Amino acid sequence: MVKVEGYEVPEGLYYSKDFEWIKIEGDKVRMGVTDYAQKSLREIVYAELPSAGGEVKQGEPYGTVESVKAVSDLIAAISGTIEEVNGEVQSKPELLNEDPYVKGWLLVVKPANLQAELANLMDFAKAVEWHKAQAQSK
Amino acid sequence: MARRVIVVGANASGVEAASAARKKDRTAEITLITLEKNAGYSRCGLPFVLGGQIPDFKDLIVYPPAFFQMLKLNLKNETKVTAINTKEKTVTAVDKAGTTETLQYDSLVIATGADAFMPSIKGREKQGILSLRTIEDGEKIRQAVQNGAKSAVIMGAGLIGLETGVALIERGLKVIIVEMLPQILPQMLDADMAKIVQEHLQEKGMVIVTGKTVEEFLGDDNVRAIMAGGEKIEADLFISAFGVRANTKLAVDAGIPLGETRAIKTNARMETDVKDVYAVGDCAEAPNVITHKQVCSQLGTIAVREGKVAGANAAGDYSLFTGVLASAVTKLFEIEAGVTGLTEAAAARNRIEVVTGAIGSKTAADYYPTAKPVKVKLVVEKESQRIIGAQVVGGAEVTQRINAISFAIQKQMTVRELAKADTAYAPPLNETWDPMVLAAEMVLMKLR
Repeated sequence: MVKVEGYEVPEGLYYSKDFEWIKIEGDKVRMGVTDYAQKSLREIVYAELPSAGGEVKQGEPYGTVESVKAVSDLIAAISGTIEEVNGEVQSKPELLNEDPYVKGWLLVVKPANLQAELANLMDFAKAVEWHKAQAQSK
Repeated sequence: MARRVIVVGANASGVEAASAARKKDRTAEITLITLEKNAGYSRCGLPFVLGGQIPDFKDLIVYPPAFFQMLKLNLKNETKVTAINTKEKTVTAVDKAGTTETLQYDSLVIATGADAFMPSIKGREKQGILSLRTIEDGEKIRQAVQNGAKSAVIMGAGLIGLETGVALIERGLKVIIVEMLPQILPQMLDADMAKIVQEHLQEKGMVIVTGKTVEEFLGDDNVRAIMAGGEKIEADLFISAFGVRANTKLAVDAGIPLGETRAIKTNARMETDVKDVYAVGDCAEAPNVITHKQVCSQLGTIAVREGKVAGANAAGDYSLFTGVLASAVTKLFEIEAGVTGLTEAAAARNRIEVVTGAIGSKTAADYYPTAKPVKVKLVVEKESQRIIGAQVVGGAEVTQRINAISFAIQKQMTVRELAKADTAYAPPLNETWDPMVLAAEMVLMKLR
C-alpha cells in the first residue's frame, strides 16, 4: 500500500478526479470512493446507493454520501449496469472510513464501454502524482 | 433557478456555514470568497506549530481541496471582496490577477473575522512588530526564530499571547510577557485562579510583567525595545497580542448595522438587520446566555456554531443560535485552565450578586501517585442559586469538568442540584467526591 501525503493509493486500481476508484475484476468492475475522499469527508454516517439492475454513467452522480459535516454526490467513474450493491455499507457506512478500498466498496458494475472510458481515468502512477498535487495545493 | 449563497470568509465560521448550506440545499450554487491563500485552517493551532508539537503550518488545514470539490463549494481564494450591495444583492470581488467580478446572491453570509488589534502606541509604525493571526504571521515568527532570535517580548497575556509565549520558550527563547491589567488571562479567569497559572508559567521561566502599559516602541526603523511602565525592555522579537477587533468594514460600508459591541448586529438566526444577510464568527455579536447582553466572544467554538446556524438559514432552513457561554480551555506547559459562563469579576461588572466556592483537590485519589492538583471555582447567582459560571485550573481533566458545568449552566442547574450530582470515581481517575461537587457544597454552606 502506497501512502501519498498521508492518503492511501493502492496499486492496480484506476482513479477518477471525482475521488472514486475502480478495480477491474474479469469482465466486471468494482467501484468505491478513495481514502482521500473519506478523509476529507470525515465520519461518514449515511450512504445512499442505487439498486442493482440500474445504470450508471461515467461522470454522473449515482448516489450520495453524508458525513456529520458534509454531503457529497458519488460520481460514477465508468458507465455500466449495476450488478451488485454493497448493502453492508448502507447499514454500516463507517466501513467507508475504515476500509474504503476493500470492505467499503460500493458497486459492482458490468461496464458498457470500459476500454474507451479508461482513457478518462488515472492509472496508479498518475494517481500518485495527482494526490501529491492535491496535497501541495493545500 | 438554483439558490445562490455567497460566504465572505473561508475559515472556521465561513466553511461551516457553507457546509451547513450544502446539507440543506443540494443544488444551491455556493461560493466562498477569502482574501487568504489558505482556506479552512485552524487559527487556534498556530501556537502549536511554533512550539513544534505540530510539524508544519500546512497540517492545520482542516479542509483539503477535496472537501470543497466534493461539496461543490466554489472556493475563490486570494480574492478580496470590495463591496456588498444589499439592494441589488451583489458582491463585488477582485481576484489576485486584478480581475473584478460582480456576483449575485440570494443569501449572503459575512464571515470576515477579526484583525489583530494594535493600540495607538508611539512608534507603532516601525518595522518588526509581529502578531499571530494567520499562517503567514506564524511563518514570520518561525522564520525569526530560525534566524536566531534569542528573546521575545509578547504584549498581552490573553490566550494567544501566553500560548505563543509557551511555544517560544519551548523553542529556547527567553520570553517576557507584558500585560496592562493586573493579572494574566483577564478575560478568562478571576485573579485568584489566574495566579495559579501565572506561578506555573514563572516556574517554567516565563517573565510576566502585569499592570504595565506599553508606552512606546523604540528603535530607528526596526523595533529594538519597548518602554513599558517607564522601563526599557529589549528583545529580538516583538509580538503584539493585544487582542482582536471585529473586521466590519465591508458591512459598515454596505450599511449593515453594528451592535453595541461594535461587531455586526444579528438576531437569533444570525441574520443581520438586512434581510438575507447573515453575519457569523469573530465579526458578529450574539447574546450571552446569562446576561442576555450582546457579546463578541471571538472564540472558534462560537464561530462554528454560529456558522452552522447561518448556513442552514441561508439555504432556506430554520435554525436558531442559542447564545454564548464562552466556554474555553487552554494548556500552558503542564497546567490546564478553563472557564464557562461568567467569572466572578464579569458577574460584578453586570451587577449580578454571586456566591462563590473554590476547592483545591486532586485529579485522582490523594494517595495515588499520578494525582495532580486541580482547583474548581463555582460562581452562583445569589437569589436563584443557579450556577452561572465556573473556572477550573489543574494538571489534568479540566476540559470535561468545564463541559459538565457548561451543560449544568445551560440546563439552569442550581448549586443544590450540583451538590447531589452522581459523579464517577476510581483511585487512578478521580476523587470519591468530584471537586465540582465539593465546590457546590462550599457554596451551599455560604448560602446558609
